[in-house]
Amino acid sequence: MAEKKKNNSSLEKVRGKRVAVAATVFLFPALFLIAVYFIYPVIDTFVISGYKWNGISSDRTFIGLQNWVTLIHDKNFWDAFGHNVVIMVFSILLQIPIGMLLATFLDAGGRKYNIFKVIWFLPYLMSSVAIAFLFTYALATNGGIFSSLASLIQGKKVTIDLLGRSPHALFAVIGVMAWQYTPFYMVYFIAGYGNIDTTIYEAAIIDGATRGQYVRHIAIPLLGPIFKTACTMSLIGSLKYFDLIWNMTQGGPVNSTELMATYMYKLSFQQFNMGYGSAVAAGMFILITFIALLFQKIFVVKEDY
Amino acid sequence: MKKKVLSIFLASVLSASILAGCAGGGSAAAPAAGGSDATETTKEEAASADTAEASTGKQTDGKNLPELTTEDMTILLWDIATEEPGRPTQEAAVARFMKDYPNIHVEQIHQQNDNYKQQLVVAMSSGQCPDMYVSWGGGPMAEYYKSGFADDITDLYNTYDHPDFIDAAIAQGSYKDKILGIPFGSLSGCDIFYNKTIFKENGLEVPTTLDELEDVCAKLKEAGITPFALANAPKWTGSMYYMYLVARHSGNDEFDAAYTQEGSFGSEAFLFASDKIQDWVKKGYFPDGVNSLSPDDGQDKQLLYDGSCAMMLHGSWMAGSMSSDNAEWYQENIGVFRFPEDSEAKAKGVPQDVEIGTAIGNCFNFNSKGDQAKLEAMYVLATQYYNDDTYNQMQMDSFQTPSIKGFEEQVTDPNMKVITDVFFNASNVQLWYDQYLPASVTEVHKNSMSALFGLEKDGAEIGADQDAAMKAELAEE
Repeated sequence: MAEKKKNNSSLEKVRGKRVAVAATVFLFPALFLIAVYFIYPVIDTFVISGYKWNGISSDRTFIGLQNWVTLIHDKNFWDAFGHNVVIMVFSILLQIPIGMLLATFLDAGGRKYNIFKVIWFLPYLMSSVAIAFLFTYALATNGGIFSSLASLIQGKKVTIDLLGRSPHALFAVIGVMAWQYTPFYMVYFIAGYGNIDTTIYEAAIIDGATRGQYVRHIAIPLLGPIFKTACTMSLIGSLKYFDLIWNMTQGGPVNSTELMATYMYKLSFQQFNMGYGSAVAAGMFILITFIALLFQKIFVVKEDY
Repeated sequence: MKKKVLSIFLASVLSASILAGCAGGGSAAAPAAGGSDATETTKEEAASADTAEASTGKQTDGKNLPELTTEDMTILLWDIATEEPGRPTQEAAVARFMKDYPNIHVEQIHQQNDNYKQQLVVAMSSGQCPDMYVSWGGGPMAEYYKSGFADDITDLYNTYDHPDFIDAAIAQGSYKDKILGIPFGSLSGCDIFYNKTIFKENGLEVPTTLDELEDVCAKLKEAGITPFALANAPKWTGSMYYMYLVARHSGNDEFDAAYTQEGSFGSEAFLFASDKIQDWVKKGYFPDGVNSLSPDDGQDKQLLYDGSCAMMLHGSWMAGSMSSDNAEWYQENIGVFRFPEDSEAKAKGVPQDVEIGTAIGNCFNFNSKGDQAKLEAMYVLATQYYNDDTYNQMQMDSFQTPSIKGFEEQVTDPNMKVITDVFFNASNVQLWYDQYLPASVTEVHKNSMSALFGLEKDGAEIGADQDAAMKAELAEE
C-alpha cells in the first residue's frame, strides 16, 4: 500500500514536471516575441527619450529630462493630443451607437438579412491605406463624389473642399474612421446578442413584452459589459491612431489633423529628432494607459447576471 | 534565375551598343563622360584593331582612374528607381560596370521613393547603412555626413577623371566645401507651363513682367478660366510660387539672410511674396480647394488638360510627364516661359535671373566605412558608368538633361530647350527651400505654405513661425 502511494506521488511529480516543461516550451515563443517586440521597445523608447539623438549617428548625448520638459511645454503636442481626444469622443459617439443599431436590426431580422451583414462588414476588411486612397479621391475637390453631386444638384461647378480646410478636415477624417470601424462594433454587438440566452427573449415575449421593450429593458442592460469593452477599445484605438490620417492628410492642413502618432513619426523619421520623437511616443504611452485605466475605473460595470 | 538571364542579356546588348558607339565615333551624346579626346581615340583604335578583343576591354580603359581591386567585393546600393524610365537606365549602368569588373558584385536595391528617407534613417541607426545610396543633397545629406555615413570624396574627385559636371551640381552635392555626392540625376528647373491654345484664343501674350502676368490672370479670369493649376496638398508645389516671388524681389539676398537669421523670413521680399499670393488666392487665380488637390494623382495636370486652368508653375519633369500622358496634345498645346520679372526690383538692380530648382535631382553618397578600395570602386561606378554616354543618352531620351556641361546644346523638345536655356543662363540656382532648409524648418515652411494658400495666416505670421524654427535649429548647432 505504502509502496503504491509512493509510486503515485512520484508519478505525480513526473507528470508535474512534464507539464511544467511543456508549458515552458509552449509559452516560450510567445513570451519571447512579446519581450522582443513589445517590452524591449517600450523600455528602449523611454531610454532614448533621455538622449539628444538624430536617429542615425553613433554618438548620442544624454540630456536627462530635457526632452520631457520640452514635451510638457510643446503646444504642437498638446494640440495633437486635443485632436486625439476629439476623435476619441466622436468615435465613441458615432461608431458604437451605429454599430449597436445595425446589430439590433440584424438580430431582429435573423437570417434573411445576412446579405446586409456581409455588405456592412466590407469596409472593415479593407486596409486603412486603401480606404485613405479611396476617400482622398471621393472627397477630392476636382471630380470627387461630393463636389460632383453638389455640382449636379446646383447645375453649376461647385467645389466642396473637405480635406483642405480646418476644421473640416478633422471631421471629414472622423467620418471616414466611423465608416471604417462601425462594422467592427456591429459584429461585436451581434456576438453580444448571440450570447443572450434565447429563453430570456422567449420569456419576455410570453410575458407580453414588445420587441422594443425587450431591446430597451433586457438586451441593452445585458449588453453592458460589451459596451464597456467596445468603448475601451475605441478609446485606445483613437488615441494611438495613425495610418488612415497619415495617408489622407499627413496631419495637414496646417497641423489641423495632426495626431500624437503622426507628430511622433514626423519628429523621429523626417526631422532627425529621434530623442524627442521617443519622448513623444513615451508620453503617448503614459497618456493612453492613464486614460484607459481611468475609464475602466469610472465605468466599472457590475457583472451581475 | 530570371534576373540573371535578364542581366546577362542586358550586359551583352549593352556591350554591343558600346562597340557601336565607339565605331560611330561621335554618337548623339557628344560630351563624353570625363573622357578627353585622347581617350576617344584610344578606344577607337582598340575597337578597330581587334573587335573581338575590344569587347573584353573596359570602357574605362585609358582614363585616369584608380586601379580597382581584383578581389571579390560586394557593393550594396540603394536607389529609388522603381519605375521606368529610371529603372532600366540605372540597372543598365550597373550591368555595364559588373561586366567590366566581374569580381565586383553590385547589389542594387530599389526602394519606394515615399518611404526611402525613413528606410535610410532606420538602416543607418541599426548599422545596416548601404555602401552607396541616393540622396538629394541639402539638409538631410548634411545630417548623414555629420553622423559619419557619407564619405568626403573631395580628394578622389580632384585626383581622378569625372564628368564635367556643372558647378551648381557639384555645389549641391557638397557640404561646407567638401564634396560628398556624385550627381547622376538631371537638372530640374521650375518654369510656367501654359496652354498655347487658350492664350491664342484669348489674345494673350506670354508675360515677361509680374504686372503683365497679373494682367493675363485678370483676363483669363474674365474668360472664366482659372489662371494657375496648382495642387498644394504636399505644400512644396505652392512653395514654388513663394520662392520665385521672393527671388524676383530680392535675388538670393533676403533668403540667405533669413537662413542665417541675420535677416528674417518676415523681411520685405517675403512679405511681398505672401501678399501677392494671398491677393491672387482672393482673386480666384488658383483652383478651389487648392490645399487638398494633390499632384501625386496628377490633379494639377488634369486641370490644365481639361482647360479649366491655363498656366502651371512646376518642375521641368512635368514636360516629360505630360508628354508621356499624351505626346500629341502636349506638342500642340503646351508652351513654357520663365517666371516673369519684377520690374520694380529690377530697376533697383536686383538680379532677375535666379532660378529655382535643383541642379542634380539625385546624387550618390558613399559609406565605405574606411574601406578605400570599396570607395574607389564606387567612385568609378558613379562617375564612369552612371553618367557615361549610354546612360546620358537614355536620360536624354526620357526628357532628362544631365547636369553635365554641354548637354544644353542637345535638347530637342522646344519646351525643354527653353527650360534648359533658362537654367544654364541663371546667375544662381536656388535649391527648393524644402530640400535646402534643415528638416525641422522644412516642416514649418511647408505648413506655412498651406496656411498661406488657405488664407489662415498672413505673411508676417508665417515669417515669424519660420524664423522661430530657424532660430531653434541654429541654437541646436
